[in-house]
Formats: sequence, C-alpha cells, structure tokens
Amino acid sequence: MSSGRTVKATARPALTPFAVLAALVCAAPILAVAWIALSGGASDYLLHLAETRLPVYLLTSAQVGLIAAAGAGVIGTGLGWLIARCTFPGRDILSWVLVLPLAMPAYVAAYAWLDLSQAGGPLDVATAGLFPTIRGAWGAGLMFALVLYPYVYLLARDAFAAQSADAVQAARTLGASPLTAFRRVALPMARPAIAAGLALVIMESLADYGTVSHLGAPTLSIGLIRAWSGAGSLLDAARLSLVLVLIALFIFSLERAQRQRARTSAASGRHRPATRLQLTGWTGMGALTLCALPLLLGLVIPLARLGWRALNAAYTPDVMEAAANSLFLAGTSALIAAGLGLLTAYALRTRGRIATGAARLAGLGYAVPGAVAAVGVLAILSGIQGWLDPLWRGMTGEVFPILLTGGAGALIFAYLSRFAAAAIGPAETALGRVTPTLDGAARTLGATGWTLLRRVHWPLIASGVAAAGLLVFVEVLKELPATMILRPFNFDTLAVTAHNFASDERLGEAALPSLAITLTALLPMALVARYLSQDAKSGERDD
Amino acid sequence: MTDLTVRGACRTFAGEHAALKGADLDLQPGQVTALLGPSGSGKSTLLRAIAGLEQLDIGEIRFGDTVWSEAGTHLPPEQRKVGLVFQDYALFPHMNALDNVAFGLTGSDRKAQAMVQLGAAELGDKARKFPHELSGGEQQRVALARALAPKPQVMLLDEPFSGLDRRLRSAVRARTVAALKRAGAAALIVTHDAEEALDVADTLALMLDGVIVQTGTPEDVWFKPVSAAAARLVGDANVLSGEVEAGRVETPFGALACQDIEPGKPVDVIIRPAGLIAVDGETFEVVESRYAGAERQLSLKAADGALWYANAPAASALRAGDRTGLELDTAFTHIVANRS
Repeated sequence: MSSGRTVKATARPALTPFAVLAALVCAAPILAVAWIALSGGASDYLLHLAETRLPVYLLTSAQVGLIAAAGAGVIGTGLGWLIARCTFPGRDILSWVLVLPLAMPAYVAAYAWLDLSQAGGPLDVATAGLFPTIRGAWGAGLMFALVLYPYVYLLARDAFAAQSADAVQAARTLGASPLTAFRRVALPMARPAIAAGLALVIMESLADYGTVSHLGAPTLSIGLIRAWSGAGSLLDAARLSLVLVLIALFIFSLERAQRQRARTSAASGRHRPATRLQLTGWTGMGALTLCALPLLLGLVIPLARLGWRALNAAYTPDVMEAAANSLFLAGTSALIAAGLGLLTAYALRTRGRIATGAARLAGLGYAVPGAVAAVGVLAILSGIQGWLDPLWRGMTGEVFPILLTGGAGALIFAYLSRFAAAAIGPAETALGRVTPTLDGAARTLGATGWTLLRRVHWPLIASGVAAAGLLVFVEVLKELPATMILRPFNFDTLAVTAHNFASDERLGEAALPSLAITLTALLPMALVARYLSQDAKSGERDD
Repeated sequence: MTDLTVRGACRTFAGEHAALKGADLDLQPGQVTALLGPSGSGKSTLLRAIAGLEQLDIGEIRFGDTVWSEAGTHLPPEQRKVGLVFQDYALFPHMNALDNVAFGLTGSDRKAQAMVQLGAAELGDKARKFPHELSGGEQQRVALARALAPKPQVMLLDEPFSGLDRRLRSAVRARTVAALKRAGAAALIVTHDAEEALDVADTLALMLDGVIVQTGTPEDVWFKPVSAAAARLVGDANVLSGEVEAGRVETPFGALACQDIEPGKPVDVIIRPAGLIAVDGETFEVVESRYAGAERQLSLKAADGALWYANAPAASALRAGDRTGLELDTAFTHIVANRS
C-alpha cells in the first residue's frame, strides 16, 4: 500500500534565488549609476553643462513628454472608448490591429515623416510649403504620440470595458446627459488606467534617443549620450542618468498615487457588462475612419515612404550582418527575460517576503531608460575591470579583457535590466490563473511535480509567457541608446545601422534596416496584440 | 400627486435580458409596490423600461398625462427624473459619499442638500468616505440617499437588499420603507424573495414570463392566488388537481365547497402547509421532518404515493418514518380554475 515515499503538499523547488537574481539584474545598473553619480566632486563639464545646456535639456524633455502625453492620451482614450463601448464595421479586427504601431520605432516614423515634410519633400511640394516640417520638440512629441498611443489605448480600452454599465446608467437617471455621464463618471473611472498608460508614454519618450536626435529636440537623453560619447565621461553620464531616473521615479510615483485611488474604481458588487452602442451607416464609417487615421499616420504612411526609399537606394550588404546581430540579441534577451519572469512569478507565488521584495525591486527596472541601464552596466564592468585588472596584469601582463569580450553579454545585461520587469508582470498575471485550488484538485487526482506543471500549469500560462517573451523581443529589436553605448566595436544592430545612416543624411540606406526592424517586429507584436485582446473579447457581449 | 401607469409593455431581446410580453402595472404616490418574480421573468426589464434604460417595442408608460414610453417615443432617462437604486448600488467609485449624493442635485447649495440627505440616512459622519470604505449596509443607504436627493416622484429599487447579510436585511428593509414613505414617491421594489416582498409591499405584483399575473394586497395574493404558479411564487403550497362536481371538489381531507366555478371544469386546489395540521392517525407516513425555528416542516406520503407538505409545532415529536393523520384548516385553501 505504502509507496515508501511521501509527497509534501508544499513541495516546490526553492525559487526565491531566481527572484533575487532578477532583482539584482534589474537593480544593479541603477544602483551603480547612483553610486558613481553621488561620489566624486563636481566636474568642470557638469558645471559648464548646468550653466548652459541643462536648462534646455530639461525644458525640451518636458515639452516632448507633454506633447507626447497629450497626443497619446487623446488618441488612446478615444479609440479605447470606441472599441470598448461601440460596435461598427471592422471593430473586432481593429481591436488588436490598433496595437500594432508599437512595432514601429518612433525614430523610424521620424525618418519617414521628416523625409516627407521637409523642404522639397513630397508633402512640402504638394501643399506649396503649407504642410509644416515635422521636427523639433513638436515633431518628436507627435511621433511619440503616433507610435506609443497603444499603451494608453490598451489600458483605457480594458478599463472602459470593465466598467459596469450601472454606474453610467445611474448617472443618467440622476439627470446627466450621455456626454455628461461620460465626462463625470466613465472618464474619471478610467483615469487611473489612462494615467498608467500616459506614464509609460512619457517614460518611453524621455528614454528615446533616435527620434529626438533626428528631429533636433535636445532632451536629457541627448545630453547623456553626448556626455558619454563626446566627452567620454562616465561620471557625467551617470549624473545626467540620475536626473533622468529621478524624473522617471517622479512620474511613476504620480501614477502610483493615481493607482492608490484606483482601488476606488473597482466597482461594488456584481458587474453588468455594458451594451455596446451600435454605430451603423455614416456614424459607423466615421468611427472606422477615426480608427484608421492613427494606423495610417503611425504605421502605413511611414512604412510606404521608407519602402519607396529603400527600393530607390543602393543595397548595403552590412544590413544582413546587422540583422543577424539584432535577431541574436533580441532572441536571447527574450528567452532569458521570459524564463526569468516566469521563475520570478513562481517565486512570488510562495509569498515569501524576500521573493516579494525582490520582484518589486526588479519591477523598478521598467522605470530605467535604456541609456541609463547602459551607463550602469558600464559602471559595473569598469568597476570589475578596475578591481581585477591589477591581479590579471600581475599574472599575464595584459589588460583584463572583460570590456572587450563581455560586449554582447553586457548588452544583454542592460536589456534585461530594462525589460525583465516587462516579462515579470505578464508571467505573474498568467500564473494568477493557476489558483491554489486548481493545484489541490490536480493533486487529489494524482498529478504532482512535473506532471502537474506539464498538464495543468503550462497549458494555462504558456501563452502569457510567450507574450512576455515576444514583447521583450520587439523592445530589444527597437532599442537604440543602450546599444549605442554598450555595443562592441564593429558590432552593429539594425537600429544602430539605421541611426548611423540617418544621421549621415543617407535616408535611402537607412530605409532598409528601418523597414527590417518594423516588419520583423510586426508579427510578434500582432501575436501579443491578439493575446492582449483575448480577454476583452471573451468578456464581450453584444446586446 | 400623479400615478405611473404601464400598459401592455412588450420588449423582446436577442440576448440575455428577459422579455416583456404585455405587462400592466400601476404605481401610486406614497405606496410601495413590490414586484415579485423568479429570475428571468422580466421584472428587472420592466423596472429598466420605467427608468428609460430600455425602450418598449409595444405598449406605453405614462406618468400622469406625460407619455414616457410609447411606440416611437422614448423620453431619455435623464428627463424622467426617476430615482433608481441598483442591485449593486452603482455608487460612483471615484466620488465620496457626499459627492455621490450631490451628483443629481444642482444649484449652489447642492452639497448642503446632500448633507441633509446623508444626515437623514444617519451617515453624516461618513460623508467623506469613499464607497469602498463603507460597509454593504452603508453603501445601500448612500445609494438610497443619492436616488432620493433630487426628490423624484417615482422611486425604483432593483433587488436592493440582495447584497446584504441576512441578519441585516430586515432592519435595512424597515429603514428603506420608512424613507420611501417619508419621500412620498411612488415606489417599486423588484425582488425574487417572497418573504421580502410580503414584508415591504402595500401592493404586491406577481410577474411570470413577462406578464404581471396578479396584483393585490400581500394578504390577498397569499391567500387567494390566481394560479398554482402564483401560489408557489409567494410561498410553499400543496397543489391538488381535481374537478368540480355539484359545487364541490373532493380532497383526501374531505370535499370543499366551490360555487363560482362551472361543474366539470378542471381545478387546482391550493393548500398552504400551514393549513394541514398533524393529528392522531395512520394515513400519512412522514418522509422528512425539518426543524425550522418556530415550527417543524413535514413532508408526508399518502397511501396513493402523493407527497404533502405540512407544518407542525416545533415541539412536535414527529420524525421520518412515523405515521400521522392530517386535518385541513379551510382558511388556508383556495380553489382556482386550471387553465393550462
């Protein structure tokens, strides 16, 4: 009768170390940045900077961030409401297609729009100079709004869809017109979600380098890269990084304050799904047009322009090698991030205090702009270098080679510290579907250990983990500033190649790598978009 | 003061909502009407149609001389000025109690008016609390105060007590009815709980499959239901099918007089369990004996296999397997023509 061994109900591999590892990977660069930035005196460069360029950097950053937020806020909230609360031709497909502009790097959109609108460009010629040139803080903010609005759209859409119809109807019976009910009830209830989306939009705008450098909007990121690549000062780069991180933390704390109140938007009692407004005829076509507009401006037109430029430019063979590098970096980072995210989510499930703290620390990584993560990784590597070099030199008489050989590894380290957080969230959500009672049910039916994982857990979490990996893949593919700082000599990615050509005013050659990034990112982004639109779909009810 | 009348209200849906198939209803000022029906009978749809949240296909809803709903006419909810309390209360989660109550008010003193309403609900000290900081009973009171604040002439309450702890319910019910009476509005409370309906109603309306089948005082409806289904809706009932012969209907407890139904017609004899009293005898076998506080609820099997429900005093020693006789108290019987 006895099998001779007991199965502990709580038997579970010790996973807390993985959460701690994730936290270390994510937090180490930012800690290194803070350490370096706060040590040592004020350098001449920094003083000079504070007197001359810093105010401009800050002002431009504020301008770009605000314009991006305003644009993405209006587009994302409007589309989110349309999709969540209305039915019209094409709505079901648009529900996920509207997410796709996230596959378009803002700098690629910027290449295309500047090319179209600058003096002598087709838009300028066609409108006899009336069409404004897309450049400066306005242009950059606009580009960010066009490709980053999906963050707001996704969160707003799900918030509007989750709202119980009763609240809006209660407002109606209390004398509010449909528009007033939207303004006073539906919109404020969605506000925490919209704020979370806006925080992401602002963060991504501030972290960007390619767009602002191409369109001539000197934000803090530009200052940071100049400090490193121009002046070669790790100290100054770290100090500017710290400013950027403080701004990021400020924005996220604002968002968090909103989210504190978000508990208040969890409606009481039962949820009655809203009846969707039927839009037919002209109003239906109007809604379709409103949805098509951001897709056209953010995705279709830039792609078409760059496609045309690529066809009319000489083929550059370097692109193949850059593509291979990009795929290698994005694929490796995605796999590691997904694995790390999953293991961290499992560690979180044990509800251990260390695991929870570590996971939250890892989550902070998302607030770290790529350039800052790169500076942090550099700081860590040079620290190790400085520490091991004398030893190594004593033994071999040569320079310790970590900065030379650690190139791709250092890049992946930086990517992970920024994007692993993005993988923990979805993994945690997916694992949330595996409730303890489900485990209990499976165990009483005889499934334990690997069988339990394979037959119960994996089918429930696989798509979530895959979505997390794909998201990291797309982000790494698009990433520019960290890659520029950390890439080994003669190691180019598609993003770096495109940027280098574009900054040399060779847009024809920049077009091909730009297209390659966007088209490669489109398929995984489509899969992620479908995944993220599933829940909204299964919960939907017409009439 | 003005009456609200619903005549021949019809509404069909493709989806999940229950349909209306010609419902008639009258609401009088100062009166509480309870609308009782099983889930899916269309009672919430009727309430939502009165509020203007659903349109009618056919039929009309009038408030005095004003047409609210009619084929081709639909006054939007914000112009009907009804007070509506939702089952989940639908408090605005982003507003505190005071702002919730003030929502439907206008003018510079709206906060002051809202405060008066909250005070009347004994929630003056909770004015700054957000809905999630309030208990279920407090949320219900805020929802009621919010609906009453604009002084509506029609108050609609959709299962307003279903979210509450059982022990709280009767107290909250009494308080709610008192508030409705004070306001003097014509009130409609939708519920699927018979005990609740009998408790709150001045007038009780029974709804089955999209139609109001009976309206009357709670006593009328309980003692003189129009059909077996109506009888079962307001409480437990034994239903015996029979036939009228020479002004009488035969039952196992003797013949019952029945003057107003034609001879030869099929009838249902409705006997409330309270009308069957256990006496000495061997005719019935006790199948189940459930203790229910003040009384014992018995299921009994007759010699012909028919099941009967009866009540016995709590102290009764009858248990499953025992045998007993039953005596009929005709005050608890009612005979209706069987039209099905």
